Amino acid sequence: MGGDIVLYMLALLIIMIIGGVHIAIALAACSAIGVWLMLGSFEVAISILSNTAYEAVRKDVFAVIPLFVLMGDVIWRSGAAGDLYRICDRALRRLPGRLAIATIAGNTVFAAVTGVSIAAAAAFSRIAYPEMKALGYSRSFALGAVAGSACLGMLIPPSVLLIVWAILTEMSVGALFLAGIVPGMMLAGLFAAYVIVAAIMKPELAPAYTAPLVEATPEETRSEIIGGLGILALVLVVIGGIWTGVFTPTEAAGFGALAAMLLGYVKGMRRAAFVETLFQAARTTAPIMLLLITAQMYSRLLALGGGVNYIQGLFLGADLSPFMVIALMVVIWLLLGMLIDSVSIILLTVPIFVPIAVALGYDPLAFAIFGILVIEAGLLTPPFGLLVFTVRGAVPDPSATLSMIFRGAFPYVLLIMLAAFLVLFIPSLATWLPAVAL
Amino acid sequence: MSLQIRLARMLHILSAFWTVALAVLVFADVVGRGMFSSPVPGTKEILQNSVVTIAFLQFPLAVYSGSMLRTPILLEALPYRGRQILRAVGGLLGFAVLASLVWATWPSFLQGYAIGEYEGEGSLRVITWPVRGAIAVMGAFAAYAYLVMIYLDFKGVLLEEAEAPGAMTRQPADQAQ
Repeated sequence: MGGDIVLYMLALLIIMIIGGVHIAIALAACSAIGVWLMLGSFEVAISILSNTAYEAVRKDVFAVIPLFVLMGDVIWRSGAAGDLYRICDRALRRLPGRLAIATIAGNTVFAAVTGVSIAAAAAFSRIAYPEMKALGYSRSFALGAVAGSACLGMLIPPSVLLIVWAILTEMSVGALFLAGIVPGMMLAGLFAAYVIVAAIMKPELAPAYTAPLVEATPEETRSEIIGGLGILALVLVVIGGIWTGVFTPTEAAGFGALAAMLLGYVKGMRRAAFVETLFQAARTTAPIMLLLITAQMYSRLLALGGGVNYIQGLFLGADLSPFMVIALMVVIWLLLGMLIDSVSIILLTVPIFVPIAVALGYDPLAFAIFGILVIEAGLLTPPFGLLVFTVRGAVPDPSATLSMIFRGAFPYVLLIMLAAFLVLFIPSLATWLPAVAL
Repeated sequence: MSLQIRLARMLHILSAFWTVALAVLVFADVVGRGMFSSPVPGTKEILQNSVVTIAFLQFPLAVYSGSMLRTPILLEALPYRGRQILRAVGGLLGFAVLASLVWATWPSFLQGYAIGEYEGEGSLRVITWPVRGAIAVMGAFAAYAYLVMIYLDFKGVLLEEAEAPGAMTRQPADQAQ
């Protein structure tokens, strides 16, 4: 009975979401209607809305989301990302396809100070793409490098997706952060290897060129030193602090946000720029927090109806091999990736998928990294591919089309899926660092 | 820019500064504990109550600015009139959900106020009825915002069919680098 209602509500939820209802509203509405049908009391149903609104994010760990988003946005707008890119360019001058590799390297470091991949995609669309285009790189190849490497932002801590996943599954945010580091570096290595091979096989994609982008004038050097050291200091504070246990994630986020504002000030940001950054950061955060609240209403519905057990029974009772179950999850994730954003995908599926994966014997940390990689791949595939749209909106080149970006990003999608399955089959890629450090 | 949108923007900026204040609070707490063995009392309570309140203070502008997450897949396939109708249905649902939320939260706010509901202990008690009050008042504001958005949609004045005029500052594309 309860299980049936949960399934009906899932169907209603999908209909509402496809109909363009705000996802947070759809989650709240379906939860309330489901509870109402199950318990027969409208009063109880709406009191669940009220209680969850009050309780859902009343934990201090939720403060990490606004604080990390703020930190990333300040650094993005301070111009430090541009310094970072030029440093990487200077250091990697000898490699084939060096500007694309500098984009990947820059993203890897930038990922360690931002929580959302959109910030990275927007930043490097404006910093890296014009340089690659000027040096005669194939536009599709250059755009793909920008969009593809932005995915690193969600894997390398701090990452909003890792935070949301940890909160939903009651795992330690710090442990999940550390679990993302090795797979993140591995993915960056795969991306760079792809660029080098592609640049050697088809030199017309990325013409060789050895002069640095910007001559090392004293002002340039000064700017690069401030930006580079600033970002390095932030990485040390945030990841180092969590790694060594000096900071909880909340404390690291608070320190990181303040340190980023200091760096922004040194880089010349003033009152108007700060207010604008605060405004935009809050605009990114608010919908995520509201989704988190209503997603917990949905979790309560699932728990109340025995829905998790019911769906778990459907999955496990269908006589599928564990690998087939995982493959089914991947298909669902990729399909959802065509419809909705990655936070929403995690909120909808993780409460159901994680217990199943654990029952099948997969390690929770490795499964989390696996899931986030697959969901990230969905950000690069048509038709919804959020990162592709972000790059399209941010590049200063009207001739860059969506299909050009999708094509350029496709090799990165394959590499992300490869990395995902590597983590699934070699769980120690994810579990080793948290085990050593914590 | 109409009064309601100016108010929503003010609340949004207020809560953004509040977020910075939380960063300062965390900093003071850690420095206080590490260097003077005296953490800021009630940090945890202030943080957790602030997070909820900030989220709800930002709710109205999230509606006005069209930032609420959704999928455009079906909307894009429909003609303009169909899109308006579908958005109106979604907006009415938003209104209904928020009206129910306010309906259920208001009594708990009044009760919390009457008994002086608080959490934490000792020197720093954090009163919690303002959180319930913020949920109720901001829920009502956001519910109203959903209705206003339907009205603006049918008047045909939404920017890119998603944003109430004036809800966001329009920044030139090259300002952020």
